[in-house]
Amino acid sequence: MKKGKIPTPIWLLAPIAVLAVIVIFAARSESLFLRKLGPEYSYDIEQYSKIDPAMLVYRAVGEPIQTGLQQSRAVAAGFGKLYVVGDSKLAILEEGKKKEIELPREPTCIQIDNDGTLILGLTDHLALADADGVIQRHWNAPAENALMTSIAMDKDNVYAADAVNKLVWRFDRQGLVVNRIGAKETRRNVPGIVVPSPYFDIAMYPDGLLRVVNPGRHWVEAYTPNGDREWHWGKTSVEVDGFSGCCNPVSMVVLSDGNFVTCEKGLIRVKLYDPEGELIGIVAGPEQLGRTEPMRICQSPEQCGQQGFDAAVDAAGRVYVLDMLQNSVRVFEKK
Amino acid sequence: MAKTPDHLRRRDFLRDGIWASVLSVLGAGAASLFARSRRENLVWQIDPAKCIACGNCATHCVLNESAVKCVHAYAMCGYCDLCTGYFVPEPKALTTAAENQLCPRAAIERTYVEDPYFQYTIREPLCNGCGKCVKGCGAFGNGSLFLQVRHDRCLGCNECAIAVACPGRAFKRVAASAPYLIKGRA
Repeated sequence: MKKGKIPTPIWLLAPIAVLAVIVIFAARSESLFLRKLGPEYSYDIEQYSKIDPAMLVYRAVGEPIQTGLQQSRAVAAGFGKLYVVGDSKLAILEEGKKKEIELPREPTCIQIDNDGTLILGLTDHLALADADGVIQRHWNAPAENALMTSIAMDKDNVYAADAVNKLVWRFDRQGLVVNRIGAKETRRNVPGIVVPSPYFDIAMYPDGLLRVVNPGRHWVEAYTPNGDREWHWGKTSVEVDGFSGCCNPVSMVVLSDGNFVTCEKGLIRVKLYDPEGELIGIVAGPEQLGRTEPMRICQSPEQCGQQGFDAAVDAAGRVYVLDMLQNSVRVFEKK
Repeated sequence: MAKTPDHLRRRDFLRDGIWASVLSVLGAGAASLFARSRRENLVWQIDPAKCIACGNCATHCVLNESAVKCVHAYAMCGYCDLCTGYFVPEPKALTTAAENQLCPRAAIERTYVEDPYFQYTIREPLCNGCGKCVKGCGAFGNGSLFLQVRHDRCLGCNECAIAVACPGRAFKRVAASAPYLIKGRA
């Protein structure tokens, strides 16, 4: 071997150098060396949110109506007007015009009485207002911590769902508490209402029994005005005929023919049930409600409270669905 | 040669100038040291309001087992029987059987409280911070499950590998004296 000559041939070193460069680049590449989560770590409820178009029994009418509120809470329809409460306001929408009325407390629910009087839930108590939203009278709060989330009425009584105390207050027409409905009472076979989040709806049914959503159990229960529990319907399932998640349905409305329209959050769908709780069809799915974006993770009770829907029906049978996240009302009518 | 008044003034000026420079450098150094001693240490944390539970926390931490863990804000929890952070979307039964659990590592413990309420506790040694339960809870429930960097594990890297990979830009520096961003607290 000649003095000064490189002992290792260059043809042997070159591939090693190239390999070293490749390894260095590969090590810096995310795709090759990073840990990856397997399919068992994916969370996918898309498959359950798909709606068979053949099941749609309602169609959207017109464009969504913007409420103009920052946090819309409840909707009511009647006498040619649409009422939406939210923020600290009552918005009255009529023939394209909108009027806003400031309220003394944060409104949480609204109902229209047969004579057009508005019954407003103002956090812990109810208030009566005329059709223009001018408050005529405040009723006393039945409990300091009450949170009124829904109102129903019959000829002699007004009922208010209280999400904090997990019961329904029955008032007479003067605003005095007559009795409580739905509180856990084993000897009367009342299992108690489970309200994990502030969605707790009620509706008066033509048979004179109050329908009460038990959201934590995914039931719609029937109670006499005296608080006797008669029966319930509803089943837990992510399938289209059931209710899923922690607390569904979040809203319910009774149609003039006795059928129910229910709204769900999480798996977003508005459905039509017969009086026995059998699914008739779908009023709207995520697509019809403009909720096609990826699933949203709420970060606070307030945000989670904005994920839901409220529904109302007018004399013509049109269903109004309030989207609390988009602050809009979509109108649906039967196909 | 006798010194002229002009010559003296120049020399004095130079001498004073050098002294002033030395003193200002020393002053600046002292001020910097003082400020540094007063400055609070910062640590990495996840802003729950920005976290999208993408799963990167489980895979991008320099630690083999991520420093990010799920934590539970009990004040926000509904104590649901059907907890969507605990159960798969369509559980066969509301039991603790592995097939019903959402977490692939069984890192959440379900404890009966009273009918029909259950408490859910994170088993930290099993949690890898994947965020699957966070998604389930936030999709249907109150969003009481969320991810946080646990500072008993975090190495405090100058450049956090998860922060670099975080698509929600949810990682931020917070004071070491208040290292957690707990949901539901103002």
